[in-house]
Amino acid sequence: MTVLDYRRPSSLSEATELLQDTDAVALAGGTDLMVAIRHRTVGPAVVVDLKSVDDIGDDIAVEEDRLVIGGRVVMSRLVSHDVVTEQFPALASAASVVGSVQIRNRATLAGNLCNASPAADTAPALLAHSATLTLASGDSGRTVPLSDFFLGPGATILNQGEVVTSVAVPIPTGPIGSGFARVTRRRGVDLASVSLVCVVEPSGRARFGFGAVGPTPLVAESTVEDLATDDGLDHLLSGTTPISDLRAGADYRSAMLRVHTRRALVAAMAQLRARS
Amino acid sequence: MSGESTIGLTVNGTRRSVTVPSSMTLLEMVRSRLGMTGSKECCSEGECGACTMIVDGEPVNSCLILAGEADGAVITTIEGIGNGGMTRLQASFLEAGAVQCGFCIPGMVVAASALLERIPDPTMTDVQEGLSGNLCRCGGYSRICAAVISSVTRGDTDD
Amino acid sequence: MTERGASTSAPRVGGFERVTGAQMFTADIAHDDLLHVALVHLDCGRAKIESIDVSAAGEVDGVVRVFTGADFPNPMPRFGPRFKDRPVIATTETKYHGDPVAAVVAVSRASATKGAAEVKVTYSELPGVYSIDQALAPASPLVVDADIRPPDDPLAATNIRQTWEWGWGDVDSTKADLVLEETYEFPMVTHFSIEPHVFVAAPEAGGVAVWSSIQHPYILQKTLADLLGLPIAKVRIHAPDPGGGFGGKGYPKYEPLVAMVALELGRPVRLVLTLEETFQAVRRTNARLHFRTGFSDEGRLLFIDAMNDFLMGAYADIAPRVISKSSYFAAGPYKVGAVRAKVRGLMSHTTPSTAFRGFGAPQIAWAIESQIDAAARALGIDAVDIRLRNLAARGEEIVPGDKPADGDWAQSVRIAAEKVGWTQTLPPGHGRGIAVGLKASATAGSSYCILRILPDGSVALVAGTSDMGQGARTILTQLVSENLGVPAEQVTLVMGDTAVVPFDYSTSASRSTVFMGSAVVDACGKAIDDLVSRAAQAHGVESGEVVFTPGEVAVAGDTHTIPEIVARIFGSVPGEIIAVGTSRGEGDAGHALGGPAAFYEFSCTASEVAVDPETGDYELVKHVTVADVGKAINRQHVEMQDEGAAVMGLGHTLMEQLLLDEQGRIRNLGALDYRIPTFKDVPKSMISVLVENGDGPGPGGAKGSGEGGLLATSPAIAAAVTQATGAVITDLPLSPERVWQAIQISKHNEERHDSEDS
Repeated sequence: MTVLDYRRPSSLSEATELLQDTDAVALAGGTDLMVAIRHRTVGPAVVVDLKSVDDIGDDIAVEEDRLVIGGRVVMSRLVSHDVVTEQFPALASAASVVGSVQIRNRATLAGNLCNASPAADTAPALLAHSATLTLASGDSGRTVPLSDFFLGPGATILNQGEVVTSVAVPIPTGPIGSGFARVTRRRGVDLASVSLVCVVEPSGRARFGFGAVGPTPLVAESTVEDLATDDGLDHLLSGTTPISDLRAGADYRSAMLRVHTRRALVAAMAQLRARS
Repeated sequence: MSGESTIGLTVNGTRRSVTVPSSMTLLEMVRSRLGMTGSKECCSEGECGACTMIVDGEPVNSCLILAGEADGAVITTIEGIGNGGMTRLQASFLEAGAVQCGFCIPGMVVAASALLERIPDPTMTDVQEGLSGNLCRCGGYSRICAAVISSVTRGDTDD
Repeated sequence: MTERGASTSAPRVGGFERVTGAQMFTADIAHDDLLHVALVHLDCGRAKIESIDVSAAGEVDGVVRVFTGADFPNPMPRFGPRFKDRPVIATTETKYHGDPVAAVVAVSRASATKGAAEVKVTYSELPGVYSIDQALAPASPLVVDADIRPPDDPLAATNIRQTWEWGWGDVDSTKADLVLEETYEFPMVTHFSIEPHVFVAAPEAGGVAVWSSIQHPYILQKTLADLLGLPIAKVRIHAPDPGGGFGGKGYPKYEPLVAMVALELGRPVRLVLTLEETFQAVRRTNARLHFRTGFSDEGRLLFIDAMNDFLMGAYADIAPRVISKSSYFAAGPYKVGAVRAKVRGLMSHTTPSTAFRGFGAPQIAWAIESQIDAAARALGIDAVDIRLRNLAARGEEIVPGDKPADGDWAQSVRIAAEKVGWTQTLPPGHGRGIAVGLKASATAGSSYCILRILPDGSVALVAGTSDMGQGARTILTQLVSENLGVPAEQVTLVMGDTAVVPFDYSTSASRSTVFMGSAVVDACGKAIDDLVSRAAQAHGVESGEVVFTPGEVAVAGDTHTIPEIVARIFGSVPGEIIAVGTSRGEGDAGHALGGPAAFYEFSCTASEVAVDPETGDYELVKHVTVADVGKAINRQHVEMQDEGAAVMGLGHTLMEQLLLDEQGRIRNLGALDYRIPTFKDVPKSMISVLVENGDGPGPGGAKGSGEGGLLATSPAIAAAVTQATGAVITDLPLSPERVWQAIQISKHNEERHDSEDS
């Protein structure tokens, strides 16, 4: 391992300054970064540990009409949080399949998004729930929709020195239903070959988040009525570009997309009915 | 000093202080600098669980943690479970025939101990889920589950 | 949940150390003055090494020296259990992805790794042989260097290293009502012991001391003695209990490299492989098995005509034995009138394959059992019945002139069928399968042990079996305890040091309970004889008046404990009763395999699955393994080994496969993308049954065990999937994607068939 220097700033401005160095990387949970360092896909000279930066939230809290998840919050806390399991069960499900207990005790939600894997487990759920991110550096901050955040595999709109301080999802004002599906090679811990989340509203609007079927996580919308037809399904999936790779073939991914989209929709509608 | 981290941490109840290269992981530090070789190295990327330690109350993969991150932390390793003797859980592992080559076992025992702290009366699914980050190539999974479950239902008092 | 027999088994010796983290595995042992090694290997398959510049590496803080092929004797020394083909380190060419080209030695592992990254190798990729087809293609580059292939080898211009032809009867003139033909593939999989291989060497006393996670210390000892030009007595192998072996730690790999480096530097040197390096170092021999079989209308298997190609890798290691032995038993446990098995051992620019639990038998079972199931479906015969019609009964020959069946194999099949609920109605979407596997044990070999009854009657047993999880320590302790009547807590077992422990051939082929177990019983017998005659002398009576029963010595009617007798025998000048136990299988030079097997390991697997036809995903509802073990000296140990083997079989059946790209690089190197079974992949209900008929050659009628549970996993589950979906699959693993694809093809064929009918 080529890491030379470990720093643990206590303020955002300190962190931002350290991260101005192009040889510096931000460390949150470390479950992606440490693997990358070991495989030499990154070779930082400085690792900036964000876990003591107070300006990065450490809490899951309801703020007005949104659930706000701090940038330092780890997956295991999401999995067991009442509001998450009640209002955003697809997000709880997604968080619960990120790795193992050991991984979930370190991996942060924000880190999962910043790593920007096309298969990021929590992205489909957050996209389907229209999540926004607050990005900050030094004194400045901005809020962006998650759907604008990803640029490509491993690439986001984060500027040098900018970090994610929180993730917010609007709390549904009325009943909704959600469905979650994930295709893996084994029942044990595994990366997803296809993952998707569906959120359905009483109006019939259906919003989908997809993972591992494009260079970034994707979002698409349709209606329950349209999705009853093959054309509607085709249209929904038209933005996905499943490829063949180590984990699955393109044909299989395409087929599973269709199968699981239908199933997730059915599950979401059933949940909506139960909650109405 | 650049490139080095001075760490003060509590390991198995004892305060330790050590200066190590910043690139060293918690696993490497415990094994090579603190002389505790119970925690094992296998995949070095958080997939196998052989390096599981309890850090600030939670089970984690110590191969994914830089030494510097552990400054100020409270750590329990396999050596700290049972403190020279055996806990009910460890005895259960032996009774249930859950131990074959033994290389995965320290990680399993630590992960299972942490699970029982979180869920004192786990179901089989809880155990499978809670230990799903620990691999056993000898295939002892059903007996390991049985060991964890029976350590709870044994009924006699803990040591 | 798992159903298992009553646990009246003796506790595991070494168990306390394992659950408390006190067990010292090879990488846990501290050595003064230790240097660390990191290997340099290239990101490609076969390549020509043009130059290696170690200057930058040498500048890295902490690096002591960098070794390349040029630093070793010329010609490069080679070693290997069958052919001396493996060089200590690559010289002009890398022959597989991961073939080391340099070894960086430094004061810490981190600086060695850093140094390794700074070694500059210029190389050019060469066309390589990465598959069976490529190995067989006439114009393919040759894997084996011409100068080590015998000049009179008729195959020298090919990548066929060795061929065998086994058989009996006349296949071509055997008429059959049904003839089936199919090609089966068994993929490359790797052992993935949770303990990566460790190699340590240090100069010692005019020779060398080595610590290795090795399963066969004595084979290693001989190999190093030969390579280093040392007397065997000057090569000391310390063999701590391995953290899993499964055959992958059987034969020398990097010990020669580390030993030569240590001797050159005059200091202890340690190499610990990364997990990725273990994938590059060891694997199972993959195979393409072409089986043509003939059946009568009643399902009698009349002939087998097999053409088996096994891809051995860049160096032969023990793969020739894997291939020859398993194909010799191409007919499995069945009585077949005519068999022809042609086998080719092919070289390739891939990881050298080696022994792996099952030793070729899983590959054979995949083919023959799949054929039997195909016949059962074609003839409308039940899969259990067709097997019962063909299984050899105890005493009946399977290979003419060779050791007959030594178990009631049909009994295991009936038990498996019953436990899986074979005759119960299947819910929709479910399927069941059953299959058997046969593995022949050791054909020759020897085991020695030394038993010492100490002055207070406690016992030291010195025996060279390797305990890598199968519980050898416990079994051997139990044998001493039961035969002498000494409590297990008073028996100490000394293993893993060739300077102290006498010769044991190997820990493999499920041989140790029989071979070492017999040696231990022999030693106990001799110790008892010695004790009795000395006791007689000490009491001034004839030997006949001394009666030994475990734990007690009666002299002319008066009973004494062993400690009392020992004290009486030696008086004021302390002494020990020392006995040497021997077990030798001399083999048979005239036998094709070197001798008949000491016993056969027979296993039956029955499985029920529930398939989701839209996704190909399936659940393992029930999984039964039945092992014919003769006698389980420690029931719990045998059961856990059988279950463990079943889980390992699920690995290559459901999810394991090393994937190579076109340049021979392993794409899924590491735990992230090479998936082995986890807690959540275990069948909903897993049942292991032991059949104990006391019909083995070991103590109490024991046979060996531990490999059976994975022999027939694949065909059993494949048959279950076929029953549930109609799709027949001939390649492994049976991933959800592969099952889905097979279902699509099957549906398409059905639709085409339907439309043709109309």
